[in-house]
Amino acid sequence: MSEKKLATTATQLGLSLDVWAVLTSFFLALLVRIGLLKHIPW
Amino acid sequence: MATSAALPSQEAHNPFANVVRFIPGVLLLAAIGFAGKLLEQSINGYAKAHHLVIPNIEYVLWAIAIGLLVSNTLTIPKVFLPGIATYEFWLKAGIVLLGARFVVGDVLKLGGISIGLVVLEISGSLILMTFLGRLFKLRPKLTSLLAVGSAVCGVSAIIAAQGAIDADEEDSSFAIAAILALGAIALVTFPLIGHALHLSDNAYGLWSGLAVDNTAEATAAGALFSDAAGKVAVLAKTTRNATIGFVVLGYAIYWASRGQAEKVKNKGAFLWNKFPKFVLGFLVISLLVSVHVFNKEQVGALANLSRWAFLLTFAGVGLRTNFREMSKQGLRPFIVGALGEVLIAGLTLGLVIGANAVWKL
Repeated sequence: MSEKKLATTATQLGLSLDVWAVLTSFFLALLVRIGLLKHIPW
Repeated sequence: MATSAALPSQEAHNPFANVVRFIPGVLLLAAIGFAGKLLEQSINGYAKAHHLVIPNIEYVLWAIAIGLLVSNTLTIPKVFLPGIATYEFWLKAGIVLLGARFVVGDVLKLGGISIGLVVLEISGSLILMTFLGRLFKLRPKLTSLLAVGSAVCGVSAIIAAQGAIDADEEDSSFAIAAILALGAIALVTFPLIGHALHLSDNAYGLWSGLAVDNTAEATAAGALFSDAAGKVAVLAKTTRNATIGFVVLGYAIYWASRGQAEKVKNKGAFLWNKFPKFVLGFLVISLLVSVHVFNKEQVGALANLSRWAFLLTFAGVGLRTNFREMSKQGLRPFIVGALGEVLIAGLTLGLVIGANAVWKL
């Protein structure tokens, strides 16, 4: 299952997939907060 | 055309190489998702310019449909597969960032209603699936996996339970295939039923979050109805996801007591390991928005980042749904899953309609 392989790779990088997703989101939120990321179009 | 995704052994230990191999598939997700968005805009623009009245087909459906078309008519080169699997990462990141669209008051109100309904849904699903599994003489551990998958959160719950109850790889593949096939059917049927019953955005979102098993499909089924329904579907589904540790722990203890799985030594650590951390991330972002850490424009930017993450997810839902592969897994688990899902959908619809009558969702 590709999902399992992804989870394994995430763990090989030191953290679970969940934690990577949370950290990435927090990092993006930080970039938005300090003004480096703005006007994200949709 | 196909190229191998297999990594030389030294690359398997190189984190950079591990990350690089995701790029082609992520680009494919982005291309398909963006094509879906362009199609929606182009068709709407054409209809408007020519004064035509045609139903709006959301980018969600286009992205899933293009993904389905690609995965079921072409052989996807292996180089894309690792990146396609990242749809689950984008889904979780999208959910965390979606916290920006909820103030804590909304989370408490809708989340509070969700918790009550989730408890009823999980109890009903576990009982139903166990009964049907026994009726159709499925292997007991396959029945457990189907029950966990349909009660809590689809593929993630099945993978978590497989390790905890020492189930066979084959059983887990059967259960995952059944849950994914039924999720694909829900994408078509749920919005149609929701519109036919004139459900409100909140009621429909709650229903899809409670009844559709896999988080990606629950999110897509909600978004196919409306943007607001998609938001509520994610909240209800996230509430279900938060219970994964308790349900899997229950099954682990049951199978260990029968000598067919390892005993759980530290139950607290077990619960924490199984707890989906993105639920906490979602709550943190929602809390930060509620205390005005972000201004209005920044909240808009976070919400749009969440939409982009979901766009990649929806493309992934289509791309990883391969009906030929699913049909190889056999009919009986699918029949049990389908029967159970129809009953669970009916049960949860009744619960939502009841909750709607009481709380005016």
